[in-house]
Amino acid sequence: MLSTLISILITNASAQAAPPVATPADFWLPIGASVQAANIDLMFNIINYICYFFFVVVVAMMVWFVVKYRAKPGTRIRTDGMTHHTVLELSWSVIPLIICIVIFFFGFTGYVDLITPPKNSFDVNVTSFKWGWQFKYPNGAQSDNLVVPSGRPVKLIMRSNDVLHCCFIPAFRVKKDIVPGRYSTLWFQCDIPTGLEEKNGYHLFCTEYCGTGHSNMNRKVLVLPQAEFDQWLGKQAQWLDEIPDEELYFKAGPKIYARCQQCHSTDGTVGLGPSWQGLWTRLTTPGAARFTDGKSYADIIGVGKEYATPEDYIRDSIYNPGKHLVAPYGNVMPTFKGQLNDRAVDSVIGMIQHIEEFDAKGAWTKTLPPTAAKTETKSEMK
Amino acid sequence: MTTIVSPRPEALDTSASTDNYLTFTKGFRSWALTLDHKRIGVMYMGAVLASFLVGGIFALLLRTELLTPGKTIVSADMYNQFFTLHGAIMVFLVIIPSIPAALGNFVLPIMLGAKDVAFPRLNLFSFYLWIGGAMFTLYSLAAGGFDTGWTFYTPYSTTTTTGGVIPVLTGVFILGFSSIFTGLNFIVTVHKLRPPGMTWFRMPLFLWALYATAIIQVLATPVLAITLCLLIVERLLNIGIFNPSMGGDPVLYQHFFWFYSHPAVYIMIVPAMGIISEIISVHSHRQIFGYRFIAFSSIAIAMFSFIVWGHHMFVSGQSGLMNTIFSLISFSVAIPSAVKTFNWTMTLYKGTISLTAPMMYGLSFLFLFTIGGLTGIHLATLNTDVHLHDTYFVVAHFHYVMMGSALIGMIGGLHHWWPKMTGRMYNEKTAIIASIIIFVGFNITFFTQFMLGSQGMPRRYYDYQPEFQIYHVISTIGSYIMAFGFFLCASCFVQSLLGGKKAPVNPWGGRSLEWQCSSPPPHDNFSSPPKVGNCYDFSMLRWDEKEQGYVVDKELEAKSIAAEARGHS
Repeated sequence: MLSTLISILITNASAQAAPPVATPADFWLPIGASVQAANIDLMFNIINYICYFFFVVVVAMMVWFVVKYRAKPGTRIRTDGMTHHTVLELSWSVIPLIICIVIFFFGFTGYVDLITPPKNSFDVNVTSFKWGWQFKYPNGAQSDNLVVPSGRPVKLIMRSNDVLHCCFIPAFRVKKDIVPGRYSTLWFQCDIPTGLEEKNGYHLFCTEYCGTGHSNMNRKVLVLPQAEFDQWLGKQAQWLDEIPDEELYFKAGPKIYARCQQCHSTDGTVGLGPSWQGLWTRLTTPGAARFTDGKSYADIIGVGKEYATPEDYIRDSIYNPGKHLVAPYGNVMPTFKGQLNDRAVDSVIGMIQHIEEFDAKGAWTKTLPPTAAKTETKSEMK
Repeated sequence: MTTIVSPRPEALDTSASTDNYLTFTKGFRSWALTLDHKRIGVMYMGAVLASFLVGGIFALLLRTELLTPGKTIVSADMYNQFFTLHGAIMVFLVIIPSIPAALGNFVLPIMLGAKDVAFPRLNLFSFYLWIGGAMFTLYSLAAGGFDTGWTFYTPYSTTTTTGGVIPVLTGVFILGFSSIFTGLNFIVTVHKLRPPGMTWFRMPLFLWALYATAIIQVLATPVLAITLCLLIVERLLNIGIFNPSMGGDPVLYQHFFWFYSHPAVYIMIVPAMGIISEIISVHSHRQIFGYRFIAFSSIAIAMFSFIVWGHHMFVSGQSGLMNTIFSLISFSVAIPSAVKTFNWTMTLYKGTISLTAPMMYGLSFLFLFTIGGLTGIHLATLNTDVHLHDTYFVVAHFHYVMMGSALIGMIGGLHHWWPKMTGRMYNEKTAIIASIIIFVGFNITFFTQFMLGSQGMPRRYYDYQPEFQIYHVISTIGSYIMAFGFFLCASCFVQSLLGGKKAPVNPWGGRSLEWQCSSPPPHDNFSSPPKVGNCYDFSMLRWDEKEQGYVVDKELEAKSIAAEARGHS
């Protein structure tokens, strides 16, 4: 581990010259890929050595004394030990105190760097909800994984739609709680691109317990060189617009469904929300499915009723999920207002209409030419 | 106050040889309505150990579930309920009452030289409050369980659909009062019932520790009660106190909660430190090193415990200034902890050490507490805490302190006072083997979790990345080893109850007052006022082969008194 320490010091010294490399994972710490990691790792390792030292001192003394002064019952009890030693006792009060103050000071200065984002940061809006993340970029693009440019500070402006969440990126050594009702920020800079392959990305975890899907509320951080990032960003902003209307439900639908699948199954499996399997049939069949207030779908959907069409009902269920609750489900769905635009909602509605074309994971199972798909849509609408 | 004792049967012979608190009166009512602190202590001990078994079973289920990523034996919702229950049971039903209420109740008045605690009826009442709290906790399982984590963080706890949240909050609220009454009782007892000669600085260090703990219990627990009330009100009546969607502030909840729950950490660890001071000194038959430093460090820890709660919230969004202040103050706790650790180690120096079962736990404590304490530095340091916060590193750290120290201290104390409580010895060899198995299993289980955490594995995770599996497997194997150790330990106690050798008055060579009364003690503790001396002066003790215990040697006693007189003149 000493070699790691030295290599960190060397990397720091020659940061200008050599291309940046991630510090490899060692016995204690995972790969370190942000500009902040080196400083924190150094601190962590220094504290470790202090701990090793005191641990060895205490345990060695303990073992030595026990071995040396062990006695069978019946041995005459020794009375020559001292009862106290003020200088000794003061020294093991004062020396740890001084060490603690020094550690505190460096921890504090390191922390100030860690919470102060540079002025020229690239801002990403982060919305967390049970149980997923959405990342929104300045040009309106959205993504499920966090994609950031390399070589430039990135600031996350985070909010939560429901309960406490927490954004943790181990490779960057950064973490911040996300508290509903207020914004919290987090910044980092990563100089080592990963590309768009998910398997190469860095983990992003939720570390504030938030219920059933807490441990699956993780995504990847993908880092791209600035030019590549700009290109990706431009494309990402228009991905929904570029899909023809009739292909929306099977091209965009499954991508959006990734955010819904924690609670809504496509194959009838019981989840935290109603399964989408047969949902469209239920919506259009009088008398099927009831709400917690006793009403049925037919009471609120239809000409002159609260919702003119089933599409209106689904759209409102996505934007105002607590309004009507299907029995026996609880009010647990967060709103997607501001996250899913009209085209995205259309994709979801389309997917629900054609749910039998999707497998249990939400992947489209058909390979029909667009024209055939269109006819089928009509025949099913009846 | 001390006149309130159960009526003494007329015909009973009151000589010390036949009078024994266990057989003093008979029948269920004589136990259920007893005002005897010893019986209440024993009942507490039974209840706490039963809860420990339940909490331990949940721990094993959790560890088994974590053997593989994804589902191993239970669903995610079930897992969330299990870790919540494990935490809530271990904290509120086991560790908090284990030392003060169970061992403390039994030992404190005898050690002090009193007949009972100051308010025996309040003492019994606090036991029944504990039972009531435990009942509500059990009922919460029938009412749908709860999956909030033992911390009940809002707004999750006020919005979760599990039905047992309000019952368990009520349960913890009641348990809080049980704890407050015990603390109150101990403070008054220590102040008012010390016999002539028992000055503050003649009190055994366990009493100093219980006194410091009692102060925290009385001052901090009401804040928990208020917080839980607010939580119940919010959940029941939809009044927005903590939930931002109703105008509340979830971070406020965290402040309230940790204002109690950080001191609660010291409610758990300080009395264990007191036990260790006794065990290490008695079993090495050597004057405790630096009595006053240890005594005052208990009080110092109790005081500091109230002003460090913010270190649980370094990444919660509280201001950088507050984080800085809390970080600095948190380091101050390191000093009294370091003082104690070094003083215990120095107590071994030039001692006459018996490696008995209690001593094995004492040494385990010293080893484990050193690790638990030192890893606290990583977490008090601001920039390293950001990485480690809410990961398994924290889980490992507080298990080293809560379990490796507080619970091991409790188990050690139970071994230490077992002969006094039951009047029987246990098989020392088996007990020592059990202590070694527990020690090894503990380190395998929890040391791995330090790596797991610093590598980035968040806590309270049902599913995890495949690269963490190897650590989880090792940790789970360790937990099975530990469980085996505890069962061996339990079998040792059962065997002792069924057919253990009769315990001598003083099996270990202690000098505090409980080693002067018979094992088990008589109903009134002392037939005549006890002789209070220096409870850490072991020079007059001699091992007696016939008695199979230590006795005071008249010749050595005279020498020791003469030496003391010379010292004073």
